[in-house]
Amino acid sequence: MSNRIVDFFHFLKNRPILRSGIYLILLVILTIRHLEINFADFSRASTNLTILMGEAFPPDFSVITDRAAWSKPQCTFEADWACSPAIIGITQTLEIAFLSTIFGMVISLPLAAMAATNLSPPWLAQITRQILSALRVLPSLIWALIFVILVGLGPFAGVLAMTMYTVGYLGKLQYEALEGVSREPLEVARAMGLPRWQIARFFAIPEASNALISQMLFMFEYNVRHGSVIGLVGAGGIGYYLNYYLSPFQLYDRVLALIIVMYVVVVIIDQVSLRVRRKFIDSKDQIQRPRWREVIFSRKN
Amino acid sequence: MGLSNDQLRLHFSNASIGFETENPLLKDVNLTINSGEIVGLIGRSGIGKTTLLRTAAGLLSPLSGSVECCCDLTMNAKRGSIALIPQRLGLIQHQSVGYNVLMGALPGAKYLQTVLSLPSREIQEATKDAIRAVGLSDKVFESVNRLSGGQQRRVAIARAMVQNPRLILADECLGELDAETAKEIIELLRSLAKEKDIAICIVDHNPLRARTFCDRLLQLRGNSLIEFDNLNEKHSLPQAGDR
Repeated sequence: MSNRIVDFFHFLKNRPILRSGIYLILLVILTIRHLEINFADFSRASTNLTILMGEAFPPDFSVITDRAAWSKPQCTFEADWACSPAIIGITQTLEIAFLSTIFGMVISLPLAAMAATNLSPPWLAQITRQILSALRVLPSLIWALIFVILVGLGPFAGVLAMTMYTVGYLGKLQYEALEGVSREPLEVARAMGLPRWQIARFFAIPEASNALISQMLFMFEYNVRHGSVIGLVGAGGIGYYLNYYLSPFQLYDRVLALIIVMYVVVVIIDQVSLRVRRKFIDSKDQIQRPRWREVIFSRKN
Repeated sequence: MGLSNDQLRLHFSNASIGFETENPLLKDVNLTINSGEIVGLIGRSGIGKTTLLRTAAGLLSPLSGSVECCCDLTMNAKRGSIALIPQRLGLIQHQSVGYNVLMGALPGAKYLQTVLSLPSREIQEATKDAIRAVGLSDKVFESVNRLSGGQQRRVAIARAMVQNPRLILADECLGELDAETAKEIIELLRSLAKEKDIAICIVDHNPLRARTFCDRLLQLRGNSLIEFDNLNEKHSLPQAGDR
């Protein structure tokens, strides 16, 4: 028996890929045991899934047509569909994502310039990086919880929460983009004797502008997706309405309709954002900066 | 430490240049460039021409000795007194010709103008004049990455013109240009040196061409910078295998 084990180890010795695969499988098994995952629970899950599907189908699209009298803030439009939970929720989510992206960008850009090692002294870059890391430690949901406690329920807490997260996340992407700019324009500016802030403002940021715009659009996309989650803790957006139907009433057919609406909106935004971002990223032999009218009115991508 | 002569633009005094003190690229460099003078630097690739220029620009400190520009150590040179034109020109690729040239005016602009990004009328006029002087008036709003290599070099020179420096350090700004375009650029540099009394230190890979427009030629050979008689052609041109 022991000879077989020794032979097996000899066999593995010269097969690093197989060896790594076996170690990985062992690690997965150990983790599953440590978490006490019981796959027998699947049988219960399938039963519950059947009940859930039975209650959720067909989706109740009255969430798009009927007025939500209990909406926050109060909807004043005359048309019922304009004040429906889906429309109010998705509009709020988009508004929260938009504001937090803009506020986040305004705050993160100077922080990113301070965190970039090619633009700032090492001590300042290190401190700023630590601040940005600290902002990224908490997920947006926890930020939302904190701001709901601080400023109360509603979209304002959502905007603040998403802004905090945007600053941390976008700041990191931005300082990496700024550190990637060509050395030569910065040296031209240094030889001129310009102060650091002018080198960042007039040389580094314009040089990295395509990447910065692309990152901002990506962040907007991201904020739309996460803006739907923060509503679950009362920070506004479509998540608030999802929670409203889920918690007290368990109206799964309406929840499913809201999820479908959210999915459609997210897919549309992803596609639009992808098309716009591609304009800023793609380059064959040279980097191109499109004009906005070219982006908006282009006939083909 | 300061130099008294108003004509002096760049002065290396027993300077060692490079990155490692034990193994400098150039030792005991003594060099003086006066106003209105065009000095050519020649030498093999990797011998330290760019490092010499970066040291002169104050981007690197000399390992020993001193480097002064217009009576100040280059690290503390008066704002805007040195204009650097790097090998790849250092233009902001996503921006227009006008924007790139305007950047040359930053050292002379007032603080509030830069904070608000509102250049004064004089700066705008100087920018237009520089663009006109390099023959790019019809390309003011064009992105620089859509220009040819020669046109991009002219943009870099226009940026230096707007800066109104005392010393221009140009690193191979004639490289990869056809003879006609190179001649145009040379004329521009000559007029800058003579009309505005600007000292120019230019790196050129082509010693034959450099001799036609430089007042003096310096050769980097081994660890030394050799200043030699222009008339002594045999010694003035780098030979194969020089190091």
